[in-house]
Parts: sequence; structure tokens; C-alpha cells
Amino acid sequence: MKPLLAIGLGNPLMGDDGVGCAVAERLACDPRLPEYAEVICGGSDLLRYAGEMEGRDRIVVIDAIQSDTEPGSVEIFEGAGSGLDDRQLDESQDHVHNLSAVQAIRLLEMLKSVRCTLVGISISSVTVGAGLSPTLDARMPAILDNLLQELSRCSSEQ
Amino acid sequence: MKKVVIEHLARVEGHGGITVELDGKKVGKVHFDVFEGARLLESLVRGKRYDEISPILSRICSICSVAHSLTSLKASENAFGVKVSPQTELLRELLYQGENIQSHALHLFLLAVPDYLDLPSAIALAASKPDAVLLGLRLKKLGNTIQETIGGRAVHPVNAVPGGFGTVPTVDQLIDLRKALIEAVKDCDTVIDLMASLPPAEFCHCDTAYAALRSPNADNYYAGDEVVVASNGDRSSISGAEYKKLANEQSVLHSHAKHSSFGGKPFMVGSLARLTVNPQRLTGKLAAATERLQLKLPATNPMDNNKAQAVELVGDIERALEIIEQLLHDGLKDERPLKIQVRAGTGTAITEAPRGLLIHSYTYDAEGRITAADVITPTALNAANMELHFRRVVEQCAEREDKVIVKRLEMTARAYDPCISCSVHLVRKQQRQ
Repeated sequence: MKPLLAIGLGNPLMGDDGVGCAVAERLACDPRLPEYAEVICGGSDLLRYAGEMEGRDRIVVIDAIQSDTEPGSVEIFEGAGSGLDDRQLDESQDHVHNLSAVQAIRLLEMLKSVRCTLVGISISSVTVGAGLSPTLDARMPAILDNLLQELSRCSSEQ
Repeated sequence: MKKVVIEHLARVEGHGGITVELDGKKVGKVHFDVFEGARLLESLVRGKRYDEISPILSRICSICSVAHSLTSLKASENAFGVKVSPQTELLRELLYQGENIQSHALHLFLLAVPDYLDLPSAIALAASKPDAVLLGLRLKKLGNTIQETIGGRAVHPVNAVPGGFGTVPTVDQLIDLRKALIEAVKDCDTVIDLMASLPPAEFCHCDTAYAALRSPNADNYYAGDEVVVASNGDRSSISGAEYKKLANEQSVLHSHAKHSSFGGKPFMVGSLARLTVNPQRLTGKLAAATERLQLKLPATNPMDNNKAQAVELVGDIERALEIIEQLLHDGLKDERPLKIQVRAGTGTAITEAPRGLLIHSYTYDAEGRITAADVITPTALNAANMELHFRRVVEQCAEREDKVIVKRLEMTARAYDPCISCSVHLVRKQQRQ
């Protein structure tokens, strides 16, 4: 069985939308990253990594979420159907070319028999420009602590 | 007067819809309403140096970022009189093939095929035909891998630069790509079998003018400078410098996408146009695929663009393999990008993006800074013809039921594979009650 895979999603040129990628980059350099985990900075196209699911039991997707919690709060969703806005699971696939992250997670769960955990990081705005907002940047140590705990939990359940 | 309105047409270049007016059996206005706001990218590059242009303008589209990037480089190089090495030409062509493979695989298997089977999405397709979705994802990954290896990354390539490539791939990397392509060759029959198994989709028939690049090597999307318009057995030729004869954009009241025509008639660009203009490409496996799909050229049914994409997918895999064999045979040279001597002037490049003709034309000052830029995308060139086909679909639809008309219009629109750039995505959490 291949290691647990963490994929950070987001557009680094759209401010806090890129938080998933920013977290993945910092996690990859963090000495606390356990040996049982691998990290990919995935941009905005999760389906590109469908081949990476082969031989894995579980993946962790890190992405920005629009939520009513404080920016930088971390929320965990087990699979595509757990507490996320139903509109994103609408089978009419009304998104443009790519599937939404939630639809892509559902598709991968169906096709690859892989369990997906979504680590959602609450953000309050998306603006054109590189880099995270000062608020989110300040929360990064706590976000990384949360994520490492989640990786440990997911690993113990494999 | 009754109206049939598709307010938000999914999967088009930007935000758009379709409005149809019906008065009994009489068809009134048929509008392809593109209400996407102006993006102002041509203004954004004014005053920028030549080496900044390609990375900026590739952002026009994430799916076609290679096409924009390479067409931009070619336009700048044409302005400065730069001729890149044969090895660079081959590597750029390979990069282009990678983009076409990923783009066609995504469109056919995740966007178009569900329509034929009356399924709402790729997710529903995965439930009933998982192998079809896995095939699409496998081929999409192959295209992305070519883009990553040659372009430096899968979207918005960083390795293609003015005068050549920042880094030439290694022999081992090319051997890995060759191995992946040989595996993909095994998938080609499955692609054609699957497309041939789909129910027929014949919503309208009409004579269509097709415009495509006539390249010296018919399956090269990057080379050549001559556009041929094929219409009713006639073939007209336009050089790159004369591109405004084709892209004579006229504003229309109902749409932010301008309409173009040739000889007063709208025209279609894309896979179907490429095969129509370059029939010499249809030999061997491609001829067999064309026959198996019962694709007759020139086609009168716009839905045949999906079949043409499937044929091209087979050809692209074959051609990518040939390019790699040639590069390995010739021996890779560790070339550095050519030194660019800037000068004042204008350069135009026309290439074949996955969705059809793509034009970049720039004017530079003596310091190598842009003073004017003109970018015309395939979807803009197709806009008038899409509207014409929408009208024919409604006119030739015997049933006047809204649901039937909407379904046929949506499928016809998707057959054009219109494109949109997707820069931001968010996951919305369910709001607490």
C-alpha cells in the first residue's frame, strides 16, 4: 500500500483561494511531516491526480471553504456527501470545464475506491493577487498543527 | 410569441446562454447570448517586454494555456524575425499534442459522452460506465504528463520561452513518455469503439464553411501560416498577415462575443474543420477510425465535431509517438534559447488550438515593448456559426416541446467544445440553520 497522500488545492494567484496549495507547500517542508505521508501541491485540477490514487486506501484533500466560521478555522469532511452544500453535488455538472473539487472527490471515490477526507480551511475573501491575507497567514501554524493531527488520525484508520 | 431560454449554458467560453423565439412553427430570433465581461488582457500587455507576454496571455485559458503560450511566442518571434531550431519546433509540436490529448479526452469523456446516454454528468456516467470515465482520465493524464515533461508544468507552461526552451528534456524523460504513449495506443481502439457505440445525434443538417490551418505536415497544429476556408467544394486561402479577412469581428447587440464571417458567411473552426481542410491526414488508423465512426467529410452535422475529436485523439497519440522517435533518433541537443534581437515591427501567428484557429498578433516598439496586441480565440471565431446551427436545430426540430429543444441546443453547443478559463474555485459549506 502506498503512503497516505495529501493534496493541496487552490489558485495561488487568487489570494486566499490558494490556501490549500500554500498549506501543502509548507507541509512538504515541515520536519514533522510523517514518513507515512506524501504531499502534492495540486493547483485547481484534482482529476489530474486520478492516477495517484492507484494503490492507496485514503487521500486527504486540503482546500479553501466558504463557511460561517472564523477565517483560518479547519473543518473536516469525510467524503463528498458530508455536510457540504448540496448544490456542489448536483449531478447536472453545471460547472464549467472541470468538475468542482467536491464533484471530483465523489468521482474518485466511485472510480478508485479510495476514501477521501476534505480538510476545509475557512476563508473570507478571494482577491486577485499572489499570497495569503495577513489573517490567514497568521493562522498558518495552527492550520498545520490541525492538519498533522488529521494525517495521524487518517493513518491510524488505514 | 413564445420564448425558449437557456439562461446559463454550461461549459461555454465564459458565461453565456441561448434565447429562441417561436411563433407557432415559425422560428424568430435565435441568439447565442455571451454576457461574459470584457477581460482586457490585450490592454494589460501594452508596454510589457516581449519576454513577459507569453506567461501573461497564457492566462486567457487554463485548458488551452499551451496553445496561447506557444502562439504568443511564435507571434513575438515573427515580429523579431527569429527562426527557432528544428528541435525546438518538434518539442513545441509535442507540447501542443499533449494539450490536444488532454483537452479532447476531457471534453469527450467527461462532458460530451454523458449527453449521448441521456446522463446528467460524468459522475452519473461513472456509475453506469466507469470504464469510459477511467479511459478519459487515463488519456487526460497522458496529455498532462507530456505538458509537464516538455512545458515544465501541466497548466501555463514555464519552460517554453522566446527562442526555444529553458531546459531541454532528458533522453530518459522522452523514453518514459514513449512508454506511456505506447500504452495509450492500446486505448485508441477502445476510444473509437466507445464513440461508435453511442446513439446517433442528428439534430440539424446544413452546409457549413470550415476554416483551418493547412500545415505542411497535416497533423502539426503549430506549423504553417496558411488558413484554408473550405465551403461547398471551394477552397480559399488566407495568409497569417491577412487574418482580418477571416477575423473581421463585428459587434452584435445581444452578445459580448463579436461575430466573424468569410465572404459574408459564418464558418466553423475546430477538429471537424481540421480534418475537412486536411483530408490527406486520414490514412491508416485515422482512415479506419473515420470509417468506423461513419464520419463523412465535409460534414453537414455539427455533432460530428465529437467524432472528429475522437479521430484526432488517435492521431495525436500516434503523432506524439513519432515526434519522440524522431527526437531520440536525431539525438537531443542541449540547446539554449536563441538570443533575441528586438526591433520595431508586427508579428502574427496562427495555430490550431484544441478548439480551432487561434490568432495572436502583436506590434512592438524598438525596445521590444508591445504597443498593440490582438488575440482572437476559436470560440469567438465560432460564435456566429454556433448561432446559425442553433437556428437550424430549432428549425429542423419537429417537436416543439421546450425540453427537447433545450436538450438539442445544449448538445449542439457542447459539440463545439466551447472553452472557459477557470481561475477560482471554492467549496461552499452547508449553511447552518
